[in-house]
Amino acid sequence: MPRDPLLRAWVALMALSLGSTLISLWHWPPDLTALAGALILTLGWLKARVILARYLGLVAAPFWRRGFGLCLALFCLLLLGLYLLPLAV
Amino acid sequence: MSDTSVFDELPGDLMIWVLIVSEVLVFGAGLAAFMAVRITDPEGFATAQDALYRTGAALNTVVLITSGALAAWALRLREDARRGLARLALVGAALLGAVFLIVKLAEYAGKAADGIAWDTHPFFTFYYGLTGFHAAHVLAGVVVLLLVAWKDEPRNIEAGAAFWHMVDLVWVLLFPVLYLLR
Repeated sequence: MPRDPLLRAWVALMALSLGSTLISLWHWPPDLTALAGALILTLGWLKARVILARYLGLVAAPFWRRGFGLCLALFCLLLLGLYLLPLAV
Repeated sequence: MSDTSVFDELPGDLMIWVLIVSEVLVFGAGLAAFMAVRITDPEGFATAQDALYRTGAALNTVVLITSGALAAWALRLREDARRGLARLALVGAALLGAVFLIVKLAEYAGKAADGIAWDTHPFFTFYYGLTGFHAAHVLAGVVVLLLVAWKDEPRNIEAGAAFWHMVDLVWVLLFPVLYLLR
């Protein structure tokens, strides 16, 4: 991995975006669709955390980084719950 | 007693953070509404989503993430008093923003050619509403980036880059929900 934190963040964002796109394009068996959705949302949450920490500089403000990370995690859990509801009924 | 506030920890101006939180809340509400309406017709939403061009959206993600990195580098370069390179990075970030808009317009033109409009299906109402509102922010961001490349005080670049990162942040939430969740 590169030493420059910004370059590292860029590489991480590229890898996470590629990962979520490949997960989406993969033909998952129907009983694993929920897992694929959970993985896609988790990767989206990780991307948001990298942008907040490195691009927006919250790496120097741990209180806010934790706060934003927690709020986004709760939001992604809400989206995951709404995504899983049709699969559960 | 210390007179420092937890708000002093935040990088840049407090008002730009108020803007970032407001925008994320607006788009977040839109995405939550999209997922809630999807419950009523998951098959219809999946069929409508298959009409989207996922690879083009993934390309646009690469473009926007790279543009965000250039904006972040511009601030660091300006703080190191490398004004020329900082301006170049900002113009590069703005150009990539323009590329994002061109790809988005091509995507909309493709949908129009296929006879798909905002009222074809509720999926497309959210799709055009959310991506169109985001594209308007991208357009505003391109103008802001060019403005701070011209008026290149570090404080200006920090605020302009933060606006651009907000646009980036919103996209990494829109992209998986609209394009990738099957």
